[in-house]
Amino acid sequence: MISPRVLRNLKKEFRSSHLAKLGLVLVVAVLLVAAFAPLVAPHNPTAQNLDQSKLPPVGFAQTSTETTSKMVNGSIQTVENTTVIEPDLAHPLGTDGLGRDMLSRVIYGARTSLMVGVLGTLLAVLIGVPVGLVAGYYGGSVDDALMRVADISLAFPSLVLAIALIGLWGRATYSIPDPFVVAGLTPAMPEASTLPVTVVVVVGLVNWVWFARVARGEALSLRSEEYVKAARALGASDGRIIWRHVLPNAVTPIIVLGTVQIAAIILLESSLSFLGFSGTTLSWGFDISQGRDYVSSGQWWIATMPGLAIMLSVIGINLLGDWLRDALDPDIEGEGGA
Amino acid sequence: MPRKENERNVDRRTFLKSAGGAAATVAIAGCSGGNDGSTETEATTTAAETTEGGDATTTEESDGESGEFGVGVTLGQMDSGLDPQDNAETPTDIIVSQAYEGLMGRDKEGAIVAKLATEWERVEPGTARFTLRDATFHNGDSLTAEDVRFSIRRIVFDDVDIASPQKNDLGNVSDVVAGDGEVTVNFDGLNPIVFQLFATNGQIMQKSWVEENSRDYINRNVNGTGPFQLTNYESGNEVAFEPYEDYWDDTAAVQELTVNSSSESSTRVNRLLAEESDIVTNVPPQEVSRVQNSDVASIKSVASTRVIFLQMRYDVEPFSNQKFRQAMNYAVDVESIVENVLNGFGKITGQPTLDLFTGYNPDVDPYPYDPDEAERLVEESGFAGAEITLQTPIGRYLKDVEVAQAAANQIDSLSNVSCELQQREFSSLVQDITTGNIEDKPAFNLLGWGNGEFDAAQTIIPLLTTDGALTILKNEEVDGLIQEAQNEPDPDAREQILQEANALLHDVAPWVFMHQQFSVYGVSDSLDWEPRADELIDPYTATQK
Amino acid sequence: MAGTSLWRFVIKRSLQGIGVVWGVITVVFALRFVTPGSPINAVAPLDATQETRQAIAAELGLDQPLYVQYGQYLFDLIRGDMGYSYIKGQAVTTMVFSKLPATVELAVAATVVALVLSIPLGVLSATRRNQPVDYGATLFSLFGISTPNFWLGIMMILVLAVQLNIFNTSGRGVSSVDVAMSLVGPAPFFGTLVGWLSYVTLPAIALGTYFTALITRLTRSGMLEELGKSYVRATRAKGAPETLVRYKHALRNTLIPVITVLGLQLGTLIGGAVITEAVFSWPGLGTLIIQSINLRDWPALQGSLIVIGVGFVLVNIVVDTIYGYLDPRVVYN
Repeated sequence: MISPRVLRNLKKEFRSSHLAKLGLVLVVAVLLVAAFAPLVAPHNPTAQNLDQSKLPPVGFAQTSTETTSKMVNGSIQTVENTTVIEPDLAHPLGTDGLGRDMLSRVIYGARTSLMVGVLGTLLAVLIGVPVGLVAGYYGGSVDDALMRVADISLAFPSLVLAIALIGLWGRATYSIPDPFVVAGLTPAMPEASTLPVTVVVVVGLVNWVWFARVARGEALSLRSEEYVKAARALGASDGRIIWRHVLPNAVTPIIVLGTVQIAAIILLESSLSFLGFSGTTLSWGFDISQGRDYVSSGQWWIATMPGLAIMLSVIGINLLGDWLRDALDPDIEGEGGA
Repeated sequence: MPRKENERNVDRRTFLKSAGGAAATVAIAGCSGGNDGSTETEATTTAAETTEGGDATTTEESDGESGEFGVGVTLGQMDSGLDPQDNAETPTDIIVSQAYEGLMGRDKEGAIVAKLATEWERVEPGTARFTLRDATFHNGDSLTAEDVRFSIRRIVFDDVDIASPQKNDLGNVSDVVAGDGEVTVNFDGLNPIVFQLFATNGQIMQKSWVEENSRDYINRNVNGTGPFQLTNYESGNEVAFEPYEDYWDDTAAVQELTVNSSSESSTRVNRLLAEESDIVTNVPPQEVSRVQNSDVASIKSVASTRVIFLQMRYDVEPFSNQKFRQAMNYAVDVESIVENVLNGFGKITGQPTLDLFTGYNPDVDPYPYDPDEAERLVEESGFAGAEITLQTPIGRYLKDVEVAQAAANQIDSLSNVSCELQQREFSSLVQDITTGNIEDKPAFNLLGWGNGEFDAAQTIIPLLTTDGALTILKNEEVDGLIQEAQNEPDPDAREQILQEANALLHDVAPWVFMHQQFSVYGVSDSLDWEPRADELIDPYTATQK
Repeated sequence: MAGTSLWRFVIKRSLQGIGVVWGVITVVFALRFVTPGSPINAVAPLDATQETRQAIAAELGLDQPLYVQYGQYLFDLIRGDMGYSYIKGQAVTTMVFSKLPATVELAVAATVVALVLSIPLGVLSATRRNQPVDYGATLFSLFGISTPNFWLGIMMILVLAVQLNIFNTSGRGVSSVDVAMSLVGPAPFFGTLVGWLSYVTLPAIALGTYFTALITRLTRSGMLEELGKSYVRATRAKGAPETLVRYKHALRNTLIPVITVLGLQLGTLIGGAVITEAVFSWPGLGTLIIQSINLRDWPALQGSLIVIGVGFVLVNIVVDTIYGYLDPRVVYN
């Protein structure tokens, strides 16, 4: 599967490319942050603190002109205060409208994005690769039928199909207990992470086609190879042939496609939670939709921080994907993906 | 304060100079007659632009639309259909009340004024008579007594055409008699506030028009007696009006009225400041300074007749237990929410009736914030460990989502209750609330209720009596008190009964009592218009500055 | 030359397309039975009277066997009847087709923006490899495919529409038809065009950025590959001027995979349009879809899905035709 030559290619490309190094750094950072979220995050991301709302990030003291209002004898009096709101080191990235710590929300948001990204891609692989392999290997009417299904699936734009399905099926979630909290290491943090199950399922369902195509391509080109014909002549079953001969060769393009897909799914998930079609509110997209109302009144960080987080994560993954593609097989058209 | 509108237009103009100079600004002002566009003509800026370039003048005149006094209003929600008698939401009411009117109306301070009735009197304790004026519907037909009779019956009786959610809004009507230029309405019982009711509710439709057209047609077209008639209706997007020339009173000064919506407060404020709208609703507190300090608009705020609350269905566990409901009241820190989320734009309440309304009980204090007491009561109720979900509409009330998030979080912080928040599209939530069956209604949701009659009964009857159209409560004592009040001819005695009802409701706690909403409007500086306490918007009274 | 073969190719693709369209329609039909509750609930508003519910049941033919319902559904579709939205009180066909032009306009504007910017940028990047232009373009495209378009839209509204007041913050003031009409004819008037631009520019950029970045990357890598190939060196050896070599041969061959990807990514474009419409309050099909889901207006949702699916197939047929024109090898395959 992963031959020594391939490993050498990987190392060579890595050494020569700054961008690849940057990509690895970013991705590892996101992974670590997501995995160790309760230890890294300074506060509970869902803890509201109304008195500490709208604090700016460190270094950006805010001159805020706020109008407050009081009812005096049946009529409303407004008072305009211009105050300088100093940031608080306890909240390095500031707080949102309800006083929740932005840094903690960004950290926990990484969990949601990564979980959906990885699990969704895994689901797409589990559906798409077998379908593609079967279609490519057997060819003929099986291939035609399966590719028709793929075409129909593609005819619905992934976001549209995703929101339609979530709208129909609801927003089911699954609580994954947090090992750190359960072990008693970080009792103040949320006990469980909410995995938006419908989103994962839907995202996998709308993206399987890309993997199917890649797997199909490999199967098509390999089924006429000599050793495959030989194996069949020897009486090996089709399943065994696909498993032992075809699949290992398909692994490389699938991995490359996989990285592209994870990035695409993270963007898709953020779009879905921005529109309110997730099952969890601890998500970057959701925070951006919350922050939207504050962008023009001066509290820009509520929408900007999660946006930057998305950008950096996706850039990291894309850079890694570029590195993988350049190293493993420069001929791959790696630009498929929702 | 120097008007900077010209400067702003110069910015745009210089940037887009390559496309044709001064003519550009006229187009941006919207004089292009797009047939599906929501073009709001800028009011007085066009006058200023004529002096800036010869091209502009010629193009303006050939357009024919510029120089008109147009007003754009951006609400938080659009209407749910144009039938004035088939809705219970203020956004729809705001839109249809441009074109439909009732027997009486109210001025901005809430005093009753004549509309389609020139005189009104209580003939007997249970009978009211209204003398009608000469007026015409938009289709040219004259208003008849039969139309009024039909309208009242259509609202009150479920078997006349539709089952209207407004059926509690005119009192217990038993029958209506159409006379010669007058209408007599008989009530079951006294109906002590009959004229308040008819001043706020009961829009008149033409009987033949309603009977001849399908419900869908009625929901997409307008035939009223009001100062504006419909020119364009794009469901969910925009409603456009022009003055009705044969209105029985003065023709409107506004020549083009467009209503659209955005549930995003930032979009509404941006539209106002970019001069794409002239009146926007529910400016969030954090934007108030920005609007005030801009040169194109300012804030006008007024204490609304609307009360915000979290209602709980009496027939669903754990809300079936009074202690649990009271616990919810202790768990929510309304003062903090008003101060921090609403910047003080709100006032805490402890009963369904607002201060200065008839029936308000001054001896009833709001529930204090006491999470320990809340936990204790939850334990006593036997529902410790309950998992509940609060539903909230999005962008209908001032910062509704954030208020709901804060409240849900405070309840969730109790050690023996867990509370989640579910956001719902407002019209979808309202549909659930206005269905006939209580089983279809949400168990726990945020809602606001505007009481334009300034009387306790008109909040309690539809929301908290067993037969109320939107009720979530069944309590015989409450029903009894209200019955009594509605049949009490002496206003002072009646007020006392209503105060008793309010005290009772405080203890029964069918709601988590939140706050009185303040209406915060953003109004263009080029518009002379004052807001109303009942949240209706009346561009009819607006003039250019 | 390739005339008749191209035609045959087009016809073959169209026939395949019809198959896909049929699949789309059937899937949407099946959705009706996937919604929780009876199919009547999928159509009737919650407060519908018993009579309305019965009328709906009769209309949907729910007492009929499945194949009869399906047949009725297909028959209605062919006649252009996509059902009725009880929640909005309008025919679905009217609703959907009144919103479609706005979305098409946005998508086309974004595509034009993307193509106009990305292809020259990609070519420039490839021909001036490892120079500042290349680095700049690479960086730009990296950011472009990694930035969520709704976030970009919000930032642009803040800076360009609110603070600098160059563009409108939201909505769609004039349609492109108005623009066309104002420009054609005896007295062309540019005001409408400018008005249109003030509304459409920001959404088009927000939507088009991803594709600009994507196509820039593709064009760049494609051109690099082409320029290194033997036939390019051969043409150079013949003495043809550099420009000819670059643009005519290499570009043409580069565009082929670009067009393939464009066709494949059409789905992303439409999906992106849905979000862009939400951010900019652009009254198109995307807004209708989200509204329909929030209001539980399933007939409107189904109608929108059908139109999008069919539109997608049509556009792909067009894209394939262009592809076939550029690369005759596909036609003869």
